[in-house]
Amino acid sequence: MGSHLAFVLALWRTNLLSAMEYRVSFLTQVVGMMLNNAIYFVFWIIFFARFEEINGWDLVDMFFLFGVVATGFGAGTYLFGNAVRLSSLIASGQMDYYLSLPRPVLLHALASRSNASSAGDFMYGLLSFGAAVIFSGTFNGLMLLRFALGCLASIAVLISFLVLVQSLTFWIGNTNLLTTNAFNAIVTFSLYPITLFDGTAKLLLFTLIPAAFIGALPAEFVRRFDLLQLAQICAGGGIFLFLSVFVFYRGLRRYESGNAIQVRM
Amino acid sequence: MRTKEANVLYPEGRVRDPSAAAVAGKYWAIFRTQLLNSLAYPIDLLGRSLLIILFMWIFMNLWRVTYGATGARSIAGLTLADTMWYLMMAEAVMLSKRDLSETISEQVKDGSVAYLLNKPFNFILYHFAAGLGGSVLAFGGNLIIGTAVVWLMVGPPPGMTGWIFAGAAVALSWLLDFCFSALIGLSAFVVEETNAFRWIYQKFLLLLGGVLIPLDFFPAWLQTVSLNLPFAWIIYGPARLFVDPSLARLGRVFLQQGIWLAVVGGIVWFIYRRAAARLVINGG
Repeated sequence: MGSHLAFVLALWRTNLLSAMEYRVSFLTQVVGMMLNNAIYFVFWIIFFARFEEINGWDLVDMFFLFGVVATGFGAGTYLFGNAVRLSSLIASGQMDYYLSLPRPVLLHALASRSNASSAGDFMYGLLSFGAAVIFSGTFNGLMLLRFALGCLASIAVLISFLVLVQSLTFWIGNTNLLTTNAFNAIVTFSLYPITLFDGTAKLLLFTLIPAAFIGALPAEFVRRFDLLQLAQICAGGGIFLFLSVFVFYRGLRRYESGNAIQVRM
Repeated sequence: MRTKEANVLYPEGRVRDPSAAAVAGKYWAIFRTQLLNSLAYPIDLLGRSLLIILFMWIFMNLWRVTYGATGARSIAGLTLADTMWYLMMAEAVMLSKRDLSETISEQVKDGSVAYLLNKPFNFILYHFAAGLGGSVLAFGGNLIIGTAVVWLMVGPPPGMTGWIFAGAAVALSWLLDFCFSALIGLSAFVVEETNAFRWIYQKFLLLLGGVLIPLDFFPAWLQTVSLNLPFAWIIYGPARLFVDPSLARLGRVFLQQGIWLAVVGGIVWFIYRRAAARLVINGG
C-alpha cells in the first residue's frame, strides 16, 4: 500500500513538473477555467436575485454546491486525468504500456495524466466554498472537515462513474458517444438543486447517474451535519469505487492488444 | 492580397476572375460533402441529439417549480410554455453549432494551416462551409427530438410563422458564431493557449446569449447591456422570434445580426489577412 502511494505521488509530481514546462499555458488554463466557472455562476446570482429560493434552496446552498462539485471535479480530473479518456486508451490498444509494468493497471492509467484546466476548477471550488462560508455566517473546524470528506466522496463517485461507463468499451467497443453523454449528464445534474426533482428522478440521480453523490448530498452535509447523510456519502463512495474496480478488471480480461509501438517520453 | 480562389489561369497564363457561381459552387461542394459525411453516421447524429432531452428535462423541472413558487401565470410576458419553447430553440441552436475554433487553432499551432493555405479555396470560407454542413443536420435532429419532448411537457409549439422567422435568423446566427470561432482559432497566431477564450465565449453565450435563461428575466440594466452585445443575437434573437414572431422583431434581429456580422466579420478578415501574410513556415 505504501509503495503504491509513493508511486502515485511520483506520478503526480512528474505531471506537475511536466505542466510547469509550459507555465504560461498552464496558468492561462487555470485562470480561464476559474473565469469560465464564475461567469456560469452569475446565472444563479441573477436567478436567486429574482426568485429568492426554489423548494428550500437559496444562493448560499448554490455556493456550497459549486464549492463541493468544482473542488471534487477539479481534484478528481486533475489527479486522475485519464479518467476522461479511458475509453480511447482501451479502444486504441494503449493499455499495453500499463499492463507491461508491475503496478496496479487502473491506478497507473488514471494517474498518468493531469488536466491543467482542472486545477482551475479546484481553485474555483475553494473560492466558492469560501464565499459560502462568508454568506452563511457559520464556520468551524468541523465544517472544514465535512468539506474535505464531502469532496473526497465526490471525487470517488465521479471517477468511479467515469471508469464504470468507459469500462463498457471492453464489451461493446467504441463508447465515445456514450461517454460524452454520460459525462455531460453527471456534470449537469450535479450542478442543479436536488429539490427540483421528484421521487423517480431522485432515484435515478442516486443510482444510474449518481449526480446526487457528487453534488447535492455532500453539499447539504457540508452545510449541516447529518448522520444519515454521512452514512449515505460513505456508502455511495465505497460502493461505486468497488463496482468500478471490479468491472474494470473483469473487462480487462477481454482486452485485446493493439500491437502498436508506443513511445513515452 | 488576391485570394487564391479568385484567380484562375487562362491557358496562356493570364489570370481571370471566376464567376460568383463557380466560387459558390466550390463551397457548396464542401458543404454537401460534410452533410453527406454526417449522414453516414446516423446513430452518432441521433446520440448527439439526445442531449437536448436531458437539458429540456432539467429546465422543465427548474421552471415548473419557479413558476409554481411565484404563483404567476406569466413572468416578463412569458408563460411556462413560452419559456420552454424558447429554451428548446435556444438549446437547439447551441447544440447544433459547430465550434471550429479548436480545429482552426490546432491547424495554426501544428502548422497544417500551411497545407490549406495553398489549396484553391479560402481557409476561412472552407471552414465555414464544412461547419455549416455539420450544423444543418444536427439542428434538424435537435429540433425533432426537442420538439417532441417539449410538446409532451407543455403542449403544442408556436405557429408556422415562428418556425420560418426563427429558421431565417438561425442561419445568420451560425454565421456570426462562426466569426467568433474563427477569431478565437486565429488568436493561436498570437497566443499559445486558446482554450480559455473558447470556454469564456461559450459561457457568454450561455448567460448573456440567453441559453440558460431568457434575457427578459434579467434586471433592466443587465438586459440593456446584453441586448447591446453580439451574444444575444446568436441565441436570444432567434429563440425569442420563435415564441413571439413579428415583422418588427424580425427586422430588429436581422439589423443587429447584420451590424455584428459586419463588425466581427471585418475583424476576422483583417486578422486573417495579416496573419497569413506574416506566416513563416520552417521545414516541409
